[in-house]
Amino acid sequence: MTVTTMWEVLADPDPIFTIAEDLFATMIDGEPGHLIRWYGERPAILHPTYTWVDVLGGDQDARVLISMGHDTGDDLARVLFDLEDTDEVPGVDFDDAVGELVNVVGGNVKSLVTHPGALTMPTVSGGMPDMSGLEPIVDACVTWKGSLVCVSLWVFEEKSTTTP
Amino acid sequence: MKALVIDDSRVMRRIVGGILTGVGFDVVEAGDGKEALARLEENDDVQLCCIDWNMPVMTGFEFVVEARKRDEWRDITLMMVTTEGEQNQIVRALAAGAHEYVIKPFTPDVIVDKLQFLGLVEAKETL
Repeated sequence: MTVTTMWEVLADPDPIFTIAEDLFATMIDGEPGHLIRWYGERPAILHPTYTWVDVLGGDQDARVLISMGHDTGDDLARVLFDLEDTDEVPGVDFDDAVGELVNVVGGNVKSLVTHPGALTMPTVSGGMPDMSGLEPIVDACVTWKGSLVCVSLWVFEEKSTTTP
Repeated sequence: MKALVIDDSRVMRRIVGGILTGVGFDVVEAGDGKEALARLEENDDVQLCCIDWNMPVMTGFEFVVEARKRDEWRDITLMMVTTEGEQNQIVRALAAGAHEYVIKPFTPDVIVDKLQFLGLVEAKETL
């Protein structure tokens, strides 16, 4: 089933790439140029971590999902918490850091459409969330320090009855 | 000078708090709007609140509304620091009593520029 939706304005991955580049340039690397856009088939991510926010209560519910390797999440958390490369990242800090990344991406994505609704709190998991009833709109992958980070936007086929 | 950083994300509190400390603020933190109201009760010398929007228990917007009901807090500068970048959200926050609005992601310069504009930081005190 193909869902026609307001979110289809984001079917072109360029806005997602731009959001990711801004995020990494300002909060991760302190300068632009460290993300490389990935075109082509997405390779499998080993030991993945998923983090997502839903955008509920607007004209069309949606989900912003970031997937990356757990090691990549550790590296990002170390940068955000200003830890040494060899420091262990506590699970609570890992969830906080990668959850904040999807919170920032999700908020910026939803600002690109009208009447988007409200963001849920981020969820972080080693398992892919239940994506039944969702249709993909766009999948934009980048590499950071050689590791893949993918941002995808999905829409719910049916509107949620709950709001965040 | 004392600032209250309100964000459910510890990493964001660390980042925002670090910027504020760098320009001379003492920083206290809260993880949601309700906790922030309690911090304000305990700290009568807070001059600035940096407020995330999406938080559990009490949102940043709800915090602004509650804080603006209190006469004794009317001189506190309220600055939203949030991913909520839609025009109507910005208008809502400003109408409720927020003074400034910063959209994540941001550079330290963006925060410092806002503080200078608000007169909370001297122009020479840049990072």
